[in-house]
Amino acid sequence: MLRKVLAANDRLADELRAEFEKFGVFAVNLMGSPGAGKTSLVERTLERAGDMRIGVIEGDPETSLDAERIARFGAPVVQVNTGGGCHLDAAMVRKALGRLDLACLDVLLIENVGNLVCPSQFDLGEACKAVVCSLPEGDDKILKYPGTFSLAKAVVLNKMDLLQHLRFDVPGFRRHLSELNPQARLMEVSCVTGEGLDRWMEWLKDGVGRTRA
Amino acid sequence: MHELTATQNILSLVLAEARKVGAARVVRVFVKVGEWSTIEPDCVDFYFAVIAKGTAAEGAQLAIERIPVRYRCGSCGLEYTPEGGSFACPGCSGASGTLISGRELFIDSIEVVHADTRVAKSAGRKRPARGRAARGV
Repeated sequence: MLRKVLAANDRLADELRAEFEKFGVFAVNLMGSPGAGKTSLVERTLERAGDMRIGVIEGDPETSLDAERIARFGAPVVQVNTGGGCHLDAAMVRKALGRLDLACLDVLLIENVGNLVCPSQFDLGEACKAVVCSLPEGDDKILKYPGTFSLAKAVVLNKMDLLQHLRFDVPGFRRHLSELNPQARLMEVSCVTGEGLDRWMEWLKDGVGRTRA
Repeated sequence: MHELTATQNILSLVLAEARKVGAARVVRVFVKVGEWSTIEPDCVDFYFAVIAKGTAAEGAQLAIERIPVRYRCGSCGLEYTPEGGSFACPGCSGASGTLISGRELFIDSIEVVHADTRVAKSAGRKRPARGRAARGV
């Protein structure tokens, strides 16, 4: 019979992808551990957005804390609470889109639930998956979570400002990524000092350009 | 942790197929689960037994086959399973491999009993079709 177990989610995700393409919105599925700095990256992105119109979906098991952080920047934001669930799925994103006007956006940042395992299995209709990882998590994350890192078009290595305080093998991390997923773009940044964020903004701009092309 | 969702999907797909082929009961479900599918087979097995109660798939055995992660080297074409903390090709050390299996999550076939107690396998174990799905998942 051959049936993909998550076929229903994949179908819905394809519909969402068509919707994003219709409106020329570059949708990014931001994945990473709790505390990696996903929300901080979104905040720093909004500060640097210029004329790029960015909407945000915040996925968390509980609370609207992240949406409140984002709303301070005046960006359209929808909080999705999964009620303990470990990932966002396409149905949750579709529901959230009811409260976002895609016609007024260039970029949609979908911040997934903090988790390096489950989110990778659920297509949200995004154009790209990006993984945010940070130095305090340790330099072995690519080896431990290859399923997630292998799907990323971009990997943002955050908290580079802490490098002098931590034992983190940056060349080793780079090597693991280039072996696992040579196509992924690695960006080493600090959401505290702003180091490296220009490259992230460029990556987003390129994504918008490709979406509109 | 999302195994319950996956198992619910498996059950509903299985029951739909059983209805389609006019089965009285589902005896066995053949599932392929890639090592990187983020699905823990033991959990699926446990949930399935619970949620299949009272359906045509009650008591059905889940035959879960784990599919290993395999890469094909972009330089020398060698197919390999990454080992020892490296994803590079063990043959030529090339780092441009493509994942060719390991993300599968699909139902391959089901075994059912018709009202006259014949045991039959639902169609679809043809090799080309399976190959396509394996790459597409």
